[in-house]
Formats: sequence, structure tokens, C-alpha cells
Amino acid sequence: MSRYEKAAAGAVALMLVAGAAIFLYAPTDALQGNVQRIFYLHVSAAIAAYGSFAVVLVGGLIYLRNGSLVADRFARAGALVGLVFTTVTLVMGMLWAKPIWGTYWTWDARLTSTLVLWIIYAGYLLVRRLAEPGRQAARFAAVVGIFGFIDVPIVHFSVTWWQTVHPGPIIVNDALPPEMLATFFLTMACTLVLAAVLVVIRYRIETIADGAEQAMAQRVQLVGSREPEAEPVN
Amino acid sequence: MTNSFAVAIAVARKDLRAEWRTRELVPALAQFVILALVIANFGFQIDARNAPSIAPGVLWLALVFAGLVAFGRAFAAEREQASLEALLMTPASPVAIFAGKALAATLLLVGCEVVLLPALTLFFGTPLTVQVVAAVLLATIGMAALGCLFAAMVARVRARELLLPLLTLPLWIPFIVAGGQAVQVAMGASGSYDQAMALLVDFDILFLVLTSLAARFVLDE
Repeated sequence: MSRYEKAAAGAVALMLVAGAAIFLYAPTDALQGNVQRIFYLHVSAAIAAYGSFAVVLVGGLIYLRNGSLVADRFARAGALVGLVFTTVTLVMGMLWAKPIWGTYWTWDARLTSTLVLWIIYAGYLLVRRLAEPGRQAARFAAVVGIFGFIDVPIVHFSVTWWQTVHPGPIIVNDALPPEMLATFFLTMACTLVLAAVLVVIRYRIETIADGAEQAMAQRVQLVGSREPEAEPVN
Repeated sequence: MTNSFAVAIAVARKDLRAEWRTRELVPALAQFVILALVIANFGFQIDARNAPSIAPGVLWLALVFAGLVAFGRAFAAEREQASLEALLMTPASPVAIFAGKALAATLLLVGCEVVLLPALTLFFGTPLTVQVVAAVLLATIGMAALGCLFAAMVARVRARELLLPLLTLPLWIPFIVAGGQAVQVAMGASGSYDQAMALLVDFDILFLVLTSLAARFVLDE
């Protein structure tokens, strides 16, 4: 088993522990019932997404400063992982909203800004695919990643800046009983570990892909340089 | 500093003169926004009762898509003639060149708004007040800065028609949120006009600073 497989297995095991805490340890909410258990993973995934997008931001800034390929690969990895966690956040939120609000979606400030966040980083990945691979793609994506991060504080503070139906910051407001708080922090820690492991694995994949692309380019160059010799001289 | 300013003005004048000689973009945009109003009429069954609540939405939809076309065209001529490389080879700073292109594209979009706003008043019966014009112009500044940055970025990318809306629209949403509120209030909805305008100014400053910092990395490529 490679290092990466071990890390992945560890992260999955941690998520199972978190799942056990969510379903077996945390008490059932008096008002919302079992649906409230969605909260633990929903909020943790959102925080993991913020963290991943912060990796994109920092990676982009470093890349623009000194052209570091390592920073660019981390940015790529962070964008993909962040997008996955934003998707999880959105889907879990919708599943919670249907029984509680009576609808999957409402154009609330937090929901809308989260959807925009998803669109921005999906765009980031599309830029990577559509721009010329190498310097151009990396530079353009870095700019998108830096601009896109503006939406993260907007998402985060949307519940305090605008009137929304989305529940406010209940954790910092000390509104949870201790068992729920413990479950939440455990789930958040496990989710952050999972996100970190995913970023590292994705970083490894990007490194291999870059290496393959470089080897390919070298071969093309070699073939290209050999051609004139092969031509018959009349 | 004064030199950069002169470069920006010169680039903007060049673009505006090219547009004046060909008269392509502004008439096309004007026709585009009029068509958008016609489509809105059939889509919504506009009458005197529902017009004030629908008009702001139609205004922003038409403006956003006209803007995408305008900024997409901002670098089209340079690309077709491969003259952007020549421009960048001059000692002028890329940021100044970018500012000039952005200024010209903004003025062309304002030219399109000169058609859109009176047409909205004519067809939808909504008031054409200083408040409405001010909100639209304030939003235009920030939208133009962002739109031009991404237009410059995608100018040399294969699928630029796909990428420009994809990158620009999500980042324009702050302007639509604040500008939309300002125009709704100016057209009779309840809410705070001043607060929306203050938010627009904040976003303008934020994105002007950010785009001027980022322009170097986008044009240098």
C-alpha cells in the first residue's frame, strides 16, 4: 500500500468515525428531528471548501510572483477539491431545506452566493482546460482564482450582511448543546483532514500529468529535430 | 504617470476612432437591446401594471449581454490584425494600454445605454430619472473593468466565446445585486437607494484596484 493509499484509507476511516458520532452520539434535535444531522457535514464541507479555495488563492498569488509550478499544481488541486466540497454543501443544504423550508431552493443571499462560488470555480477549471496548457493556463487561472476568492467572504458574511432565511452563525453564538458541538468539531476536523488528503492526492496526479506532458513534448521535439536528417539529399 | 495617462487616452482615442469610421459595434448593440425589449414584451406580456416590476430585470439582462458582446469585441480587431503584440512591444506600460482599451469599451457600452434607457422608458413607461442613470453608469464602470480584463485574457484562448460569459457573469453579480436594487428603488420599489449606491461605489473601487493590479499578468502573456 502506497503512502497515498494509506492516507486515503485513514481519511475514509475518520469520516466513518464522524458518521458514527453524527448518527449514534449526537442527540436528536427537538424541533427538526433527524434532518438536523445534515448540519454537521453541511457546515464542515463549506469550511473545507473555503480552505481549498484559500489554497487556490495562495497558490495563484505565489505563481504570479515567481512562477512556481508547485504553487500552480496546488492551486489546481485546491480548485477541484473545493468544487467537490461546494457541491456537497449545496446538495446537503438542499436536502435539509426541502423538509424544513418546504423547498429545495430559494434565492437567498447565502444560497445565491454559494451557487455563484460554485460557478466561479467551475469556470476556473474550464479556463485550465480551454487555455493553452502551461504558462498561459496557469497565469489566467491564477487571476480567476484570485478574483473568485472575493466571493468567499461574501458567502461567509452573507447571513449577517443581508436578511436571509439561512440559519445564522450558531456555533460562534454558543447556541448548541455540548454533545452537538463536540460532534460538529469532530466532523469538521475529519472533513478538513479528508480535504487535505484529497488535495495532496490531486497534487500528485497533477505532478504525474505534468511529467507525462513534458515527456510527450520532448519526444515531439526529438522526432522533429531528427526529420531533416532523414530527408534524402538530392 | 502622465505618460501612462497619455498612452491610455491615445489607445482609447484610437479605438473610438476605429469605431467611428466603421460604425459597427454601437448600431449592432443598439439593435440588440431593442430586440431584447421586444422579446421581453412577448415573454412577459408587458402592461402598465407589471411594467415597473419587470423593467429593471429586463434592463439588467439586456445590459449584461450587450456588455458581453461589447467587451468580447474590444480585443477582436487587435486579434484579427495581430496588432496587440505590436502594441505591447512599445515601451508603453501594459496597464496603460489596458486602461485605454477598457475606457474605449466603456464609452461604447455607454453609447448602447443611451439607446437602452430611453427605449425602456418609451416601451415600458418606467421613469428615466437621474437616479436610474446614475446607478447604471456606476455599475458600468466596475463591470467594464472586469469585462475588459477577462476579454483581454480570453482574446488568445481557443474557446473565447464560451469562456468570456462564463468568467465574467459570476463576477458581475455584485454589480447586478447592488445596481438591480438601486434601479428597482428608483423605479418605485421599496428599499434604500443610498445604500445600494454606496455598495456600487465600494464594488467599483474594489474591482478597479484589483483589475489594475491584475492587468499586467493578463496582457503580458
